Order: sequence, then structure tokens, then C-alpha cells
Amino acid sequence: MNERPGKAQTGTLSPDAYRGLVDRLPLTMRPALNQQLSQWSLLFPFEQNRVASLMKGIEAFSPSGLGAVTAPLWALEKKMGVKDWNFSETHDTIENASQLARSEYYSEWRREVQKVFDTVNAAAQSATPTAAERTRLIFLILPRSLPVSPQSVWRQWDPLGHEVRISDDSERLCELALQGQQDLVTLAAQQGGVESSDVWLIDAEAKLHSMLSNVSPIAASSLGYAALKPFRDRFLAELNQAPKDIQATDEIVAKLRLESWEGWGLWPAEIANQPRLRKFVIDLFLSGNGALIFSNAFVEWAVAEALRRARPRTIVARFGMRSKPKPFTSIAIFENQQRVSSLPDVDDPENSAVDAVILARYAWLAASRYPEQQQTLCICVSEHCDSAYVVPPAGKRLGWGPEHPIASEELYRWLTTQYLS
Amino acid sequence: MDPSRRNLLKATSVLLVEHLANSRKFAFAGEPVSASGRDERKVIVVACGGIRRAETFLDTGLENIPHLYHDLLPRSVFYPLIRNAGVTSHYNTISSILTGNWQRLDDWGKTPPANPTFFEYLRKRMALPQDAAWVISSNKALTSRIGASSIRDFGPRYGANVIFPKQLLINAVIQAASQGHPEHSADRVAMRQELEAILQHADNYEGLGWSVSGNESFLDLRMQSSMQQAIEELVRTNAPVTGDEFTLLISEEVMRRFSPSLLAITFSDVEVAHFGSYSMHLAGIRTMDRLVYELWNLIQELPAYRGRTTLFVLPEFGRDFDGSNTNGFFNHRSNNDSTNLTWLMCLGEAARSADVIERPIQHIDLCPTIAGMFGIEDLDLPGKRLPGLSS
Repeated sequence: MNERPGKAQTGTLSPDAYRGLVDRLPLTMRPALNQQLSQWSLLFPFEQNRVASLMKGIEAFSPSGLGAVTAPLWALEKKMGVKDWNFSETHDTIENASQLARSEYYSEWRREVQKVFDTVNAAAQSATPTAAERTRLIFLILPRSLPVSPQSVWRQWDPLGHEVRISDDSERLCELALQGQQDLVTLAAQQGGVESSDVWLIDAEAKLHSMLSNVSPIAASSLGYAALKPFRDRFLAELNQAPKDIQATDEIVAKLRLESWEGWGLWPAEIANQPRLRKFVIDLFLSGNGALIFSNAFVEWAVAEALRRARPRTIVARFGMRSKPKPFTSIAIFENQQRVSSLPDVDDPENSAVDAVILARYAWLAASRYPEQQQTLCICVSEHCDSAYVVPPAGKRLGWGPEHPIASEELYRWLTTQYLS
Repeated sequence: MDPSRRNLLKATSVLLVEHLANSRKFAFAGEPVSASGRDERKVIVVACGGIRRAETFLDTGLENIPHLYHDLLPRSVFYPLIRNAGVTSHYNTISSILTGNWQRLDDWGKTPPANPTFFEYLRKRMALPQDAAWVISSNKALTSRIGASSIRDFGPRYGANVIFPKQLLINAVIQAASQGHPEHSADRVAMRQELEAILQHADNYEGLGWSVSGNESFLDLRMQSSMQQAIEELVRTNAPVTGDEFTLLISEEVMRRFSPSLLAITFSDVEVAHFGSYSMHLAGIRTMDRLVYELWNLIQELPAYRGRTTLFVLPEFGRDFDGSNTNGFFNHRSNNDSTNLTWLMCLGEAARSADVIERPIQHIDLCPTIAGMFGIEDLDLPGKRLPGLSS
């Protein structure tokens, strides 16, 4: 596995030097940055570059200049009484978040933090030319097992996109993307992509990784909810030991975050030798949002976090089936359903489809928060309906009238043309 | 609702209230156990978690609330714009509603509200007994401290009884699993044993959450056979059980036995949204809709409540908007109308003339409104009495 260090690692400053710069910032800006610096080797290149850029921006200011930029936030922290809080400067904690959120100045604080980030980032970027962006791809799959409603499946999607009817078996699209002669991983490699965090396969079940061609020239970051089951079960059991107390929970979360989790034999093969990806999974599970509980929530939240942290060029995400809640387990939903009930699992296709439809849209909305969205092609396929929703990159159009059905191969050919442009 | 499920929950709720009534004999010797027969106004506040207007009283959500929309709205005073200007967490919002002051407390209920609750104001001024005020909550984010403030002249002696019925079921499930008996959740006798064990050994009540302090607790043996039968039927159906169903059944039992003047019920099935299942969140909204209607019908049925009860129903807040950086419906953290703005429905005695009041109101307006209904007008509270209600 190639986990090429980012440019920031070979730059003039080291994480140790960055720590001195972080100390020049107001208290409430420090925990997240210090946490990233303490885990530098486990950050994705995008994250390292982003921190490096921010540090470059801080350096661009004289002490008095930075003081002027941060003065309103320092003053606000004084009014909030942050110095008197039990506030960690080294890590983000639940207690930090809780203290900030219940401050009467919380909204004002958020605005001031954003202002400082914007000003510092602007200073950094003014000296950094931006490279031309290649087309990015988000390919979302609602598998045939999910009986989505053809009338409503695309109703709330981005109005810039188009519903497209597929004239043959739409499952072929996924095969072409992962197993065809022009599969996405090969195409990415042909264009110089050699970093595993540039291509992500995220799966509610266990299909995508097994489909990936063995001869793919680079590895992708591959996460499967089903494949992670042994680790999930162990992790959930540990997490559920947390009492109803913020400080104690912070301690357990810190312990789980620092735990190596090696030697248990819990990791699937595709992750076992990738410490950065293992760390991503741990962070994902600790950040909640249902990633430990429901497979479709796992897919959506993993996509959102991969976009935020790695800003990959390509994401293929496949949603899936969840089981019906068993007696009693819907009231103890944070418990492992298989652990608390010996009844067999029963699929819940209709409600899984409801969940997957909104969460697929959320995946695209997560991408829409970043400037790279302008260069992003999104295609969401409902195999049950043999239809897709296609949002072309900004300024691009479909190569055919969306009112006409299109064959899978033809649609994939158009997709690859866009991707290579 | 599946009748066998209801049988289980019904049997368990009767059992729990019976158990509570027995323990109360020791905790409040000298006070009347039942307040029935008092001729007084009643107020019930139902807070139902985080629900967006988009899934309820906007066009996109009306299908989720058939009872609220078709059966109850036409006879209500309805406020489509109520703003939560405080911390949009459960403990802070519920305590803000109860106190009429925006509370900024530990989210996990480590500290009591920093201002007196309406339970305390009313119990102190009107010399209401302990069984006149109750909080019955599905929400595990609350603690029994929600029932009374930390203010010295008020506090627990004027506070409400607090019960967390859902916690009983959760404890039973977790206990079975932690002891390596997952089959207990699928076995009628075993599950009964789990429930009974929790009731019999809940010495400090913290697990079930009620604030009544007694040191005698035992299972009413008369209930055992009906419990067993109900669980047997439940297991046969392989159907899920929801915490809010159980919370309403406990509330019904408390209303029948104690006829409290002040009752706050909080539902939380909708909070499954935190785990990312939109379908289960919508199911929680539909359950809430049905349970509120059942509660309204019960109010019309019980002599102690009929014709003298005002019912307030409101979400605590909305949820974050689709596309927010807080992951949309999963959470309720963004400072945005989707999260801060929701609705309030008032039914019954104070809502004699149905109306829609579009003037924006706030969650902290409920406390002075409720106090005013009981003739207490001189409280120094930041909220204002709700417009459009009968005095």
C-alpha cells in the first residue's frame, strides 16, 4: 500500500514547529489543531496540506497583525470564561464541545472562529497558485434489493441534475466501474493518481471490494460495513461501557482512540496493514452518526468524512439492507442487536430503501459543501428502478437528451469521458 | 398497534405504577396517595424530541401526523412559529420549558435547573401535594434532577416525581445481554425474570429514574401472570417495542391513580434519528402523533381531567437542515430555523376558540402561561404569556 507523504511533510516546517504557531492562536482554536499535529503521520495528505497552509497563513502575519485578527475572539473567550473551564487544549473532547455549546455566546464564537480561519487561510492562499482541477466522481449505488419508489426517489435531488432511464440491466454500471477494462481505479492511475486516499470504495455490504479487479494498479481505500463486523462488535461493546458522565466518557473515548487494536485479529485484510485507514475507521465510529449501528448510516457518514478529510477524486459508495429491529432492541438501539436477541435477523427492504434514498442524497450534499464540487460529476443509480440521477460538473451537460433511455455501457462511456477530461 | 405488544406494555406499566404506589406509602406517609377528587385545573405538557417542521406541519410532512393535523388542529390554538433560543439539547430545553428561563446546564443532567420549575412555583404557592406533579420521560438524556431546581427556597420538596419507564425496558434488555443470555430477549419467562429482577432490586431508583425515595420495593405478584402472558404474546409476534408506547401507558396509569394537576411527558422515539435511520425517525413521528391523540381521548374519558385540562404539545426543537455540516436530520446543533423553529399546539380548556397565532413565541413562554392559568401572575420571568388563550 502506498501512503505517500504529503507535500507538507517535506516542507520547511515540521509538526513540532507548527505547535509554536498554534500557541499563538486563541485557546478554543487549539484543540483540533493540536490533535491533528499529535497524529501527523496518520493524517491524509489533504489534511496535512491544509494544516500546513493554515500555518503558512499564521506565519504571514506579524505578531501584532495576528493579534489584531484574533483580538475579537480572545475578547470573546474572556467573556465566555474559557480559562476557567475544564477545557482541553490538546484534543477535541465531548466536554469541550458541551461547554462551548451551552455558552450564551456560542453563535458569536462560531462566527469569530470562522472569521479567523477565513482571514488566515486567505493570507496563505494569496501566495499559492491553484492547480487546474481534474473532474471528480461520486458514484452512488442503491442496489436492486432496495425497493425505492420510482415516483419519489429523485424528487429532492439537486435541480441541476437529470433523471436518466437505463435501458438495460443497471447493475452492469457497477461492474464496469470496478471490473471493466476501463475501471475507475485504472483510469485514476493512468492520470497519475497513486495515492490510496484518492479513491474510496465504501460499502454497506461486502460487494465492492470483492468486485475490484485484482490487477488494479493502485489500491483504493476500501471500507465495508459487513467486513468490519468483528471490529465493530468489539468496539461497540467497549463504547457501551461509558457511563452517563461526560468526563468519564471522554476518558473512554481517548482510550479507544489511542488503543492500537492490533493483535486482536479484528481488522479485515484490506485494512489490516493500513494504520491511517484504521485510524479513520476508529474516528468515524467515535464521531457517532449511526456509523456503528446502521450500515447505510455508516456509508453516508464515511463518505462525508472521506470528503472532509481526504477530499478524494473518486468515491464509489454502495448502500444496502438493514435488518428489522427485534423485540426490545428498538428501545436499546445502541446495543448490538445480535447480542441482545437470539432471534434471527430479518431483512427490512422497504425501510432500508427509505433510509438509503435520503442518505445517498446527503452524500452528494456533503460534497456540495466544498469548492471541488464544481468539478464533480455525481451519479446515483437505483438498480431497482433501472434509473439514475446524474449531476454533471459545473458548466457541463449530458451528451444526450435525458428523456431518452440510455444503455449502461453508453452511460459509462460518457462517464469516463467526463472523468478523463 | 399490535394488541399483543400493547398487552405487554400495559401489564408492565400497571406493574410499575403499582410498585411506585407501594413505595410511596413509605416515602410520603401522611400525604394522601391519590389526589383524585380535587376540583382543579390540570395542565399536561407533551414534549416530543427533535422534529423538523418539514416532517410535520409543512406540506411535505402532513402525511406523518394525521391525528395532529386532521383531528386535533381544528380544535386547537396553534402556534406555527415557536423559537428555541436556548441550547438545543434535551436537558437544557426541557428544563427551559419547565422553568421559563433559558437554561445552560450540563447536557447530561448532572445539575438541576438553575431556576424554579413551574412544579415548584405551583406546589409552593398552592400547597399542592407531591403526587400533583410528575415528569414521565422516555428520554435517557434527562435525569431525575429535572424535577426540581437548585434554588434554596424551592427545590425537591416542591418538585415533581420523575419516572423514566423506557429505562426499565432498556435495563432488562441490557441485563440479559450482559449476563450472556441474549435468548432472554426472546424467551417469555426469562424476560419476565429480567424485568422483575430490576424492579425488585432497584434500591436507589436511579436506574428507573424516579425521585421518590423509598426503601421498600417489591413486585405486585398479582401482575405476574398478566406480565407472563403479555410477554409470551409479544415474543410470538416478533414485533418491536417502542419506549414512547410504554411512556404513555405509564402516564395513563399515573393519571388514573394520582390525577396529577401538572404532568410533563417527554417522548423520544424520534431520536433514533441520531443513528441515521430516517424511516425509524418517521415511524417515531407517527407514533407520537397517535399517542398524543390517545392521550387527548383519555383526557376526555377520565372525569378528573374532562373539561378542566389544558394540553400543550410541542417538539423540543427541530433538527438540522439537509446539507448542513452537522449531518442534517441526524442532529440538532445548527443555529438555523430548521433547528430552532418549531410549532406548539394547545388543546382543551385554555383553547376554547380554535385559532392559528402566527406571532412568534418562545419555549420559555409556557411557564408564565401555565402559572397564569393557576392565577399566579407575579413571577419575574423573561417569557410572556401565550396570546390567544382563554384565562
